[in-house]
Amino acid sequence: MTPVAALFAPNSVLSGKAVRILVATQVMIVLALWAFNPFVLLPKPLEVLRALGDMWQEGLGAELITSFYLNLQAIAVATVLSLLMAYAMVMPFFRPVVALIGKLRFLSLVGLTFFFTLMTRSGHQLKVSLLVFSVSVFFVTGMADVIDSIPKEKFDLARTLRMGEWRVVWEVIVLGQVDKAFDVLRQNAAIGWMMLTMVEGIVRSEGGIGTILLDQNHHFRLAAVFAIQLTLLMLGLLQDYGIGMTKNLLCPYAALTLERK
Amino acid sequence: MASTPYSLGQTLLKIDNVCLEYDGRPVLKNVNAEVRKIIVPGRVQGQVVGILGPSGCGKTTLFRIIAGLAPPTSGRVSVNGFDRPVRAGEVGVVAQSYPLFEHRTVFGNLMLGAKQKEKDSQVAHDKVMALLREFGLEDKFNLYPAQLSGGQRQRCAIIQQILCSEHFLLMDEPFSGLDLLMLEKTCELIAKVADMDDLNTIIVVTHDVTAACSVADHLWLMGRDADSEGNKLPGSRIVQEYNLIERDLCWQPNIITTPQFTSFVREVKEEFRRL
Repeated sequence: MTPVAALFAPNSVLSGKAVRILVATQVMIVLALWAFNPFVLLPKPLEVLRALGDMWQEGLGAELITSFYLNLQAIAVATVLSLLMAYAMVMPFFRPVVALIGKLRFLSLVGLTFFFTLMTRSGHQLKVSLLVFSVSVFFVTGMADVIDSIPKEKFDLARTLRMGEWRVVWEVIVLGQVDKAFDVLRQNAAIGWMMLTMVEGIVRSEGGIGTILLDQNHHFRLAAVFAIQLTLLMLGLLQDYGIGMTKNLLCPYAALTLERK
Repeated sequence: MASTPYSLGQTLLKIDNVCLEYDGRPVLKNVNAEVRKIIVPGRVQGQVVGILGPSGCGKTTLFRIIAGLAPPTSGRVSVNGFDRPVRAGEVGVVAQSYPLFEHRTVFGNLMLGAKQKEKDSQVAHDKVMALLREFGLEDKFNLYPAQLSGGQRQRCAIIQQILCSEHFLLMDEPFSGLDLLMLEKTCELIAKVADMDDLNTIIVVTHDVTAACSVADHLWLMGRDADSEGNKLPGSRIVQEYNLIERDLCWQPNIITTPQFTSFVREVKEEFRRL
């Protein structure tokens, strides 16, 4: 098979070098399309870079730190709460409640702001609460699916090894699904960044990258908007990579049976 | 007539009038059987029972009841002469896919089994290492289950259950999908595990008649009764039991090449077809 044919053959495996060339080529094509596109409204790469430099001098770094800290705090709280809620599903008493929490993901965050404002004492608390809520409803749903898809034979195996039901939960659901929990965390940490700009737009007291994004959008400074979006993308990718690395380090068994590692 | 002198001792496992219904529909009906200790003077001799039956006759359901993983609607299974139903963990179970905990290494999986029975970590460790050596897996102790071959995984699953159970091991379809060489090795492995202790009892649930006949000392044939017009009635039971020791068809090397063995397999297959 020729290298070009291999690119389009289903499930063909490329060498590391070929993958790097492929990615570099595609990135260059995207950059070229961006640089030479005929749309006047779409800012060019150089304009975006210039806007990024300007904003950096105006204090974008500090705003990024504020947003990153807020997101990290919200994700940490949401992870702990969501895992506890998902694990609580093993007890029939909690199943309807946890199922209901998962269904709340259809609600709009804007409609809940007033309720959360009454419950919290500061702008920061309000932002954390809104983010925790918006991440948790997806996190719980993802983890509930993970738990529901554990095959019966895993539970049987634990029981035949004389484990009590709490030990079965620990071995099969908690330890046995740590790698999957990392995957769910990875997806939901990304949702956190998506929600962050909305939350920082609703509560502007501490500033943050979401506030700047909304301001720049309001004044139609598209180069600055693109610069912020690119910064968010880079930060998100870095976070995603970090979580992936942690998973590979703690769960080296997770990728052993995968075709695409 | 058996050429090896033997006698039967105490009852090790008893299936007493077990019935099971799903939504009022009988799946198992009055299943009765028992495994008794086989005593052969001058040697360690375990027990191997083969449960045979056509697909869908309730073999796996009976398997789960014997393992203590599912309660019957009525009747009970008891082991070691206890006057109570069997509990999960008393009978080791090796399922068809040889499940292991994928997040633990081979050693971690085996220690998990060993420490359920042996609280002293050093003793548990020594037991695990001894069995790993016995089954030729000592160089695999640090691997994850996903890194093992099918045969290694099977051995690992068997060791894990041996470490934890009370001399009983249930194996679900251990011959399924194996080539001839692996099938012979699996039969040897079953005989080896059975003969590690006088009380060891292996129950093999399968639909492979030849393999079951070559490894078992007793066979239980499961199936459904038919009415006068030949229609199958709901609910399976053990319709036929064979004592292969009496027929002089076990504990002999190369038994499967003998005409008596071939004739016996044919007899069982004939009965199998009628079920």
